[in-house]
Amino acid sequence: MPTVKFFATLRQAAGARQIELEAGTVKELLNRLSTDYEGKLDRYIKISTVLVNGKNVSNMKGQKTKLRPDDVVSIFPPLGGG
Amino acid sequence: MSSKYGGYMGKFLEIDLSSGQVRDYEVSDELREKYLGSKGLAARILYDATEKGVDPLGPDNVLIVNTGPLVASGAPCTSRFNVSTKSPLTGGVLSSNCGGNFGIHLKKAGLDGIIVRGKADKPTWIHIEDGEVELRDGSDLWGLDTEETQKKLPKKSGKMVIGPAGENGVLYACIISQERAAGRGGAGAVMGSKNVKAITASGKAKVPVANPEKFQSDVKRWIKILQGHPSTGEMMPAYGTAAFVNRCNETNTLPTHNFQRGSFEEADAISGETLAETLLTKNFGCTSCVIKCGRRVKVGGKDVKGPEFETLGLLGPNIENSDLAKICQWNYEADLVGIDTISLGNTLGFAMELTEKGLLKSDLKFGQTEGISEIIRDIAYRRGLGAELAEGVKRMSEKYGGKDFAMHAKGMEFASYEPRGAVGHGLGYAIANRGGCHIAGGYMIYFEANGPLTMDPLTTHAKPHLTALMQILLDSLSDAGSCQFTAFTAVPKQALNLKPSGLIYRIAAKALEGFGPSIFLMLKYPKALAFVPPMELLQHPRVITDLTGMKMTFGKYIEIGERTYLIERLFNIREGVNQDTLPRRSTDELQIPSDPRTRVPLAKMLPVYYRLRGLDRCGAPTPKTLARLGVRG
Repeated sequence: MPTVKFFATLRQAAGARQIELEAGTVKELLNRLSTDYEGKLDRYIKISTVLVNGKNVSNMKGQKTKLRPDDVVSIFPPLGGG
Repeated sequence: MSSKYGGYMGKFLEIDLSSGQVRDYEVSDELREKYLGSKGLAARILYDATEKGVDPLGPDNVLIVNTGPLVASGAPCTSRFNVSTKSPLTGGVLSSNCGGNFGIHLKKAGLDGIIVRGKADKPTWIHIEDGEVELRDGSDLWGLDTEETQKKLPKKSGKMVIGPAGENGVLYACIISQERAAGRGGAGAVMGSKNVKAITASGKAKVPVANPEKFQSDVKRWIKILQGHPSTGEMMPAYGTAAFVNRCNETNTLPTHNFQRGSFEEADAISGETLAETLLTKNFGCTSCVIKCGRRVKVGGKDVKGPEFETLGLLGPNIENSDLAKICQWNYEADLVGIDTISLGNTLGFAMELTEKGLLKSDLKFGQTEGISEIIRDIAYRRGLGAELAEGVKRMSEKYGGKDFAMHAKGMEFASYEPRGAVGHGLGYAIANRGGCHIAGGYMIYFEANGPLTMDPLTTHAKPHLTALMQILLDSLSDAGSCQFTAFTAVPKQALNLKPSGLIYRIAAKALEGFGPSIFLMLKYPKALAFVPPMELLQHPRVITDLTGMKMTFGKYIEIGERTYLIERLFNIREGVNQDTLPRRSTDELQIPSDPRTRVPLAKMLPVYYRLRGLDRCGAPTPKTLARLGVRG
């Protein structure tokens, strides 16, 4: 099943660096995160960028992007740096 | 000499160390209107105050230290000061920007800036108080590190100092102020070549404000925006710039093994998140900062400044190191001797690859952390192998070979972004006037890999256009005296609530690729942009208008950034530093062998970029462009 990696404040809120979660699409995965974490992550996920295997889903099919079992989904709140 | 505009102290001094004379340097309001301050104004002065072919480390080079109008005004994140000179590392223009509090003290001392020329006959400390300059004996300070030096200087003054690296002419020696650095390009070596160990400033002058009521209310609103935005109000205080380590790693833009790869298996061990969980004691900010991206960590039981993203990337993955504590220690040691950590990490990576390939005899090895502290000191004192490394990547490649994988542009080592994972960022390295710099190159990585709204990082569509626009905006920010991180609110909080993973962002990301013609028109007819942008999008023109009394429309603001680039480019052309190139590793070697797009197609993007900026086929400004913007060579 796909690996989900949490970063920055989202990692703190989830209390884990990464988990594995069964989902067929990004939308399904985000919904499952909301349910499994009882809405605790919603605030962060709402404003986060989602990457699938390093590629931003907004350059793919957005939340309709399909997931394969070996995919890595990385979720990042808006960062600053440089 | 004074100014009719608010935001300026109206005084600029020229200090000739050879004769000991101090005189006023005339800066007209016309120049202020054209270049605003800081980087742009300093580039204009640099061009005028030096002769062609001036030796960067000779007495005829000048060291310009100046500020922008926003500095010390009470606007947030505006404590910056700028140092401009001819770079000993590149031979071209150098503008190096620094936080801390020196900029504020310089203005309180009644000055917008100083021009230091000549050479003192003995170690000297320049002290400025209430507009008066005193050249003090700095013999007792010479040889001290940057921390000890600052301790010996007046407590209440703003300070900028060099360490042993600057004294010994390390080509990427930096200037340290408090714990911040004017890091890149060797300004510290220029200061050392003039026998200047330190510059201090103090005074009680106040910055005049044209429209105090409006200014106060807009500043208040600006602070609220910065503090309420998830990037600047939450993530940067919590993780600092180090938050980009994991993001770059995930997007194949984290330089690994001397830029051979874009990701590092152990990146998380040196990430902002790990730093926050382990060594971080607290965050801190420069004076006037409301973001507070600075880190403080424990090194050897001592509370010191922690590393930024660039340092983590280049002293981490780039040399295959995952020991976070070591990076913190080297970061502190490099600051003490006054060495730019970006060039340091890049040069170490290059020397390791040279050694790996049998081109250099050394004990340096990827993944080996022993001996790096000693090497840092050897670089600062130019001892043994350190003397070679002190010359930087370009000169080492000329001596030992390896030009294809000498990761620099114009002689300045690349910053901590692997450009084959974000090709627009690669274009930025090539066309940045000061060399392989992420900021001067337009920081395209934010729209390719790291920001909330990113386009395909490997397409060339609209990359030259966005690079030009971003460069212009970032230059304008610098000219005003503002920290670049205030730009992270350009994607407003309200827009983030539209879900970056959702449909609107998907459409916007695609639309960005077709944004080229709009930017083309924007840059061709900037005067048509006669509006002041809404506060949420770009706060600076509005606040500059309140402060100075200039009517800073978006079009005028863009023109200021354009002029900054052009005058720097003219300086480079005069000095023969006009090659907008990248090493073959970036342009010809594929980052991912199975993906032909994972290289920087520079030859394709460069002509588009040149046309867009009104440059000829060789990258020189055309007479028409210079006339349009009123820039003379």
